[in-house]
Formats: sequence, C-alpha cells, structure tokens
Amino acid sequence: MAIERPVREAENRLERFNADRERLLGEMERRVVARKIAEAKGGGDASLEYVLNDVAYCELKRLEHKKNGATDRWRDLSRRLLTMSEEEKQGELRSLVRHYGKDVVGNFDPRVYKFATGVGPSLMGLLFSPMSSLRDGMAALKSLESRIAADGECEIARACAERGTIVVCPTHSSNMDSPAIGFGLMRAGLPPTTYGAGKNLFTNPFISFFMRNLGAYRVDRRLKFELYKDVLKEYSTVLLEHGYHSLFFPGGTRCRSNVVEKHLKLGLLGTTVTAYKNLVREGMPQKRLYIVPATINYRLVLEAETLIDDYLAETGKSRYIITDDEFSRIGRILEFFRKILVHEGSVVVRFGRPLDPFGNDITDDGESIDRAGRVVDPATFVRGADGEVTDDDQRDAEYTRALGRRLAQVYPKLTVFHATHLVSRALYDELARRTGTRDIYHLLRLAPAASSIPVADAIEGVVKLRARLAGTPAWGAEHPLLQPQAASAIVDDAVRGLGTYHTRPVVVRQSDQLRVEDIKLLYYYQNRTAHIPVEGSA
Amino acid sequence: VTKRGDTIGIVGAGSFGTALGSVLARAGRRVVMWSRDPAVVDAITTKRSCPRLPEAPLPAPLEATADPRKLAAEARFLVLAVSSKDVRDRARELGNFVDGSHIVVHAVGALALPTNDRVSEVLQQGLPTLKVGVLAGPALPADLAQGVFSSIVVASTFEEVVREARRLLNVPPALRVYGSKDLAGVELASALAGAYTVALGLCDGLAMGPGPRAVLITRAVAEASRPGPGRGCRGAHVRRAGRARQLAGARERALDRLPARQAIRRRRGHRRRRANRGRARRPRRGRAREAAARAHARAGRGCRGARRARRSARGRAARRRQRRGCRVNGRRASGAGRRAS
Repeated sequence: MAIERPVREAENRLERFNADRERLLGEMERRVVARKIAEAKGGGDASLEYVLNDVAYCELKRLEHKKNGATDRWRDLSRRLLTMSEEEKQGELRSLVRHYGKDVVGNFDPRVYKFATGVGPSLMGLLFSPMSSLRDGMAALKSLESRIAADGECEIARACAERGTIVVCPTHSSNMDSPAIGFGLMRAGLPPTTYGAGKNLFTNPFISFFMRNLGAYRVDRRLKFELYKDVLKEYSTVLLEHGYHSLFFPGGTRCRSNVVEKHLKLGLLGTTVTAYKNLVREGMPQKRLYIVPATINYRLVLEAETLIDDYLAETGKSRYIITDDEFSRIGRILEFFRKILVHEGSVVVRFGRPLDPFGNDITDDGESIDRAGRVVDPATFVRGADGEVTDDDQRDAEYTRALGRRLAQVYPKLTVFHATHLVSRALYDELARRTGTRDIYHLLRLAPAASSIPVADAIEGVVKLRARLAGTPAWGAEHPLLQPQAASAIVDDAVRGLGTYHTRPVVVRQSDQLRVEDIKLLYYYQNRTAHIPVEGSA
Repeated sequence: VTKRGDTIGIVGAGSFGTALGSVLARAGRRVVMWSRDPAVVDAITTKRSCPRLPEAPLPAPLEATADPRKLAAEARFLVLAVSSKDVRDRARELGNFVDGSHIVVHAVGALALPTNDRVSEVLQQGLPTLKVGVLAGPALPADLAQGVFSSIVVASTFEEVVREARRLLNVPPALRVYGSKDLAGVELASALAGAYTVALGLCDGLAMGPGPRAVLITRAVAEASRPGPGRGCRGAHVRRAGRARQLAGARERALDRLPARQAIRRRRGHRRRRANRGRARRPRRGRAREAAARAHARAGRGCRGARRARRSARGRAARRRQRRGCRVNGRRASGAGRRAS
C-alpha cells in the first residue's frame, strides 16, 4: 500500500527548521508585542498592566500549591506593576512573549527522523513480537509498517504538499494518534509535519523524546491567559507562512465517546486563514494553504476504558484533562503494541481530498472551486470592496467555522470500519431491539442473562450493516481487508480482538452465544458507527 | 464618483426590489438594479419608472442593467429580491460573476422550493461568496415607495454583512435597519410569519373575531419556535417574530380606528343588532339593572360606552348597599351583576 513517489521539497522544509527557529521566534515575538502595544493604546482591558496582571494572576493560581519559590517571579511582577513605566511594561511583555515562545517552540532532528522512519519501525517490530520475529525471519521485522495503513486521496494531497503548504486535520481519538498519523503520513508519501501536542503527552519519556525531536511544539493547556494563546496562534501562523506543513486536531481533544467528530473546537485551525491573509497582503496569493482531512481508524483504542468512563461520567463534556491514563503507563503501551498491532492494518489512516482555508474544494491542480464547481480566487475572500486586504477577526472566525463544518461533513465519508466496530454495532442494535431502548444508562443495568445474543443474530446484523454500508458511501466504508471476508469470519475476528486487549473482555463467545461482558466498551466501539441511522428509522 | 463599496446592487426589479431601490435612490445612494427583462430596464432608464411598481419614483442615482457582470463589477453589496422559486436559477447565474469578496443579502420571505432549504443555504451552494445574509421585516413595497416609515432587520453570521447592510440601507426616516446574528432564526421567522399571515387573513376573512385570532397567533408562535433549534436558530427571533405578529395585531387594531374601518364596523354592528331584534332578553335585577338601563339609554347605541356605564352603575349600587350596612361581598355582588347582564 506504500506509495513510492518521493517527496522532494516537503521533506526539506522541516530539515531547515532548526536553522529557521530563531527567525521564527523573533518574527512571532515582534508581531505579538507590536499588536499588544497597539491594542494597549486603546486603553481599558487591553492596556499593558491588565495584560501583564492577567499573566501574573493566572500563573499564581496555577502555581499556588508549588513550593521552592515557584510563584516568586509572579508575585514580584504583580507587586511592581503599578509603579512600572510604559517602557518597563513593554520590556516585561517582550520577555514574557519570548519566555512562552521558547516554551512552545519545537525541535527537528533529522537523525531522529531518519531513525523513526527507517530503523524505528523494524526495531519496534522486533521488540514487540520478540520470539516470533526470530522464527519468522526478517519479514517480521517490518511488521509495524504493515500494521499502519494509509489510503485515500494521497496523490492529490502530495501534489498539494509540493505546490503549497498542507495542514493535516485528522480525527482525534487516542494519544497514539500522533505516532499513528506520523507513520500514516510516511506511508502515504506525505511530508512530516509540525504540530501542537498537549504538554501532558510529554509525560511519557519514550514518546516525548520522539515528539520533542520531530517538530512537535508544546501546548500547555493549563495556561489560560490571553497572552499565551496569542503566542501560540502567532507561532502557528508564522510557521504556516514560512511554508511548514502543519497538523492540527480540530476536535481539540480526544473524542471521549469514539463517535466520528461533528462538533469541532477548531482551535489553531483559525491560523490558516490568518496566515493566508498575511501571504495575500505580502503579495504572495499564489502560496496556497491546503487543508487535508484525515481519519485515524483503530481496530482497538489504547485508552478506550478511560475515555468511555470519562464520557459517561461527564456526559461528553471534557471538563478535565486526564493525566493518569493508559498513555502514561509504559507497560500498557507495550501491551497495546503486542496485542493490538498484531493484526495487519490495525490502524488505517484515510486521507480525504484537500480543501482550501475557506472550506472550498480544490481541483487536481490545486485551484479552489466553489460549491457549484466554478474556479474561484481564494484571495478574494480576504479582500474588501476595492481589492485591499482587510482585517476582520470575526469574518476569519466565521470562515474557520465554515471550514469546520466542511470537515465534519467529510469525516464520516472517510471513516474506515474495523470488524470490532461492525460487530459492536450489530450486537448493540440487537440488545437495543430486545430491551426497547438505546439508552446506554439503561443498558448498563441490564441483567447478565439478558446480554447474551446468539451468534447467528450477530452474523445477520453484520450482514445487514455491511449491505447498508455498501449502498451508502457517505457513511464510510469497511476496512479493505474485510471486504473479501464472510460475516462469520468478521464476527470471529472482532470477538478475538474485543476479548483480548482490554482488562475485561468486551464480548465472550460461549458455544453459539455471544455474551456482552462490558457494555460500556461495546457502546464505545459501536459509537464509531453512530452517524449511521438505526435501521428502519427515518 | 461613487465607490464600488458604496454602491448597492439589487437583483430583480420586482415590487420589493423597485421599492427598495426607490427609497435608497431618493436618499442619494447609488443603486444598480439588474433585471433580465430588457423592457423593464428600458422603462427604468428612460421613463424612470418600473412597470412592476409604477408609483415608485426612481431618481437618477438609480440605474438599471440587464448585464449581471456590470452589476457585480460596480457593486460589492448585493440585495437579492426575487421570488423563492427563482432563487436557485438566479444565484447560479449571478455566481458566474461574483467572487469571495461580495456580500449578498436576500429579501425572500420564504423557504426555497422544492427542498425547503433556507435561502441563505441555497445562496451558499450557488455563489462563491460565504458572506450572505437576510433582510426581513414588515416593510411593504407600497410603504417604501411612498416613503412611509418602515423598518427591516438584517441578519448574518458575518458581522461585516450586518455592518455593511446597516451602513448602506439605513436611510431614516423612510427605512431603519436593525441588525442580528441569528441568520437561521430570522430566515425561518420570516418564512413562517408569511405563512401565518395567510392563516390570519383567513381568520379575518371569516370574521372569526379576536378570540380565535389570539389563539391562532399564540399557537403560531409556539409552533414556529419548534423547528428553530434543529435548524440552527438561536431561538429569539422566532419568538420575536411572534411578538411582531402581535404587534401586527396591534397595528390592525390601530387601523380599526380609521374612519373607513369604523364605518365597516358600524355596518356590521347594525346588521348584528338587526338580526337580534325581537329576541327575548334575560331580565336584569335590582337597582343595578335599572341603573344599567338608564346608563344604556344615556350612552345611546354604542356598546362600549354602555358596558362601561353598566359597570360603573353596578359599582355605585354595591357602594350604596355597603353604606347602608348590608352584608356585602363585593366579588359575589359583581359576579351576580355579571350573571344578570
């Protein structure tokens, strides 16, 4: 499935990152400071003492439980604030922007990249299937590579990467998404991208080492003040303007329920419009930005148990960040590699047709086209009545929302269903039919005897679901490796997968019955098909 | 020379488009009106009058064209004033000439057939620009043409659209433009209010009176607010539309005071009284009845005055009884009076 077409310019872009880093930081610093000073002239909440006080206040709140003088700097700043001259405030602002900029900025080590993309997969393949690898010979060394498949509109995405700058926007369901999409990009022949990774991901030293050296920049979600957000947005904007391919998870955080994301938080995605607007203003409208939608589809999800617990507890509202989940335990990750990635194509990354920053489709030549199929000039979207580039944050935010709606429309079509999803859906439908409700809270209280379903019913459910899927490509498609398989083989495969990895088996086979042991996880996996209406409903 | 940003393009030379063009041109705004009918363009250019609304004066800042390219080139702000069945075709045609910088607001108070999509959704499908909005409100072409005070609301998710619409279309005192962010809500409210107006017209035509009219308005508001959340409305505008209908009711009541309407009411009252002549009346009791009879005689044949007089007569009777030291239950007394009447 690997695509042999080489990536020329794209690979070089991140390789020049280290040499560019100071320039990028300087550019970001200059812009943020200039904007803040200009806004401060208006007075009110935008004045510099409020901006600095906001930083000091949020930092004091964050660090109040820490010892060893962690808060001294901020107490001192807050004390000095009223006696500072305007120049001193500007100096303090500059140093804070620099400080947070350095905290955010990443690194790209070509040696680590070479290792991660060359020796890494083979070594990991050997590590994660030790004895069989020796027996099965060198073929097994490449096992990890065959576990992560990439397909979809790779050709056109690659053309866009050569023509302009791409922004990959995948769905987000696991902390393994970062390495998975990294391998997916490589498998699709797409260039490596820089991306913002939550600072909590850096708790795992193994993953952290790679992320730190492969262009990831750190996003500290505990820092809530505006100045930090400005630094982050401006850094992302500068990266895009300088042609660094980027990756954003528009969902914002891992999807707790495993549904295909519909309500996107967008976050840094808005910086694509700003970056393009700046390019048009600088007279480079031909330097295009392309949004590449993608879905990451796991056969089994590393943190499924924690995520669904969180979802059910918070009814989907992700009000807190889980720091002690499966991702922070090395043993659990090894388990993930051993048990999940033993299957070929356990992870499928499917790329969609790129869009422009305003949500327009593009032609094969990278030209934007409107909904009626006419070629449009994307630069006109940021121009005023007389062709001048205009600044309007609300307009840009609305464009980003339109882009988010397009992505949410595209994601279901790009979804790849594994056997685990299909069988979970068939079993859940059957349970719902028997109990007369699809309410998970009701089904959680189901008596054990009521949660057994004949294998024949499950097979019939899978057959029907596959037929419906085949007739409606807009809902997604089953995994390419499942297509030649019979429904009974799919059921066996899913039961094997669902019964082995999680601490408690999700489904157990007892002669001709399938007993659902963990309804929460069954619900989690069937949620991937939640956009497919229940059979017989309108 | 008027700048492109200060020119208003109007798509369609129907009654609303013409009336809007007229009111704007009279306020000195430059207007370019696009009509597909060369005869209409010719009439506007030569006779300064549109056959669809001849009473609307169309002074010089308004010009007409049959060329959509000229319209899009000379105006960035466009008002689509066509019928709901023409929206798709006209948007497709216009889409060949507009770009991402254009602002298009529509004044179609209906959903687009045959799919019942909102018109803004149709426009976003058919036009390259995403900056679309809606104009809605009780601005009647006849009022606009005569310069009678009118008001409309412009709604869009883009603040720029609302800002520009208010800058270009607000020409007080003839036309005042209010702004809103609830595009879906205003569109839906506008379309539904149109439908309910028909129902209200039927209600009036059948002379069903204020009770059924009030019920119809109340239920219409409740019904109109239901599809809102599912179609992306923020909610307030459907309720506001309901209030607007109530206001429309108030307007009707105000119109009732006009001499022509009063004459109609008098004729209707006369017919009713003639029909009731000779029917047995329930006897009235006590002094209240006598006082009411006297008051009625004093008030002549006007019902409202008679009723007021009766009420005050009943009050006087009750107060007299109270002064005499009788056991008085005000509520019972007045209840008894009401039964008696």
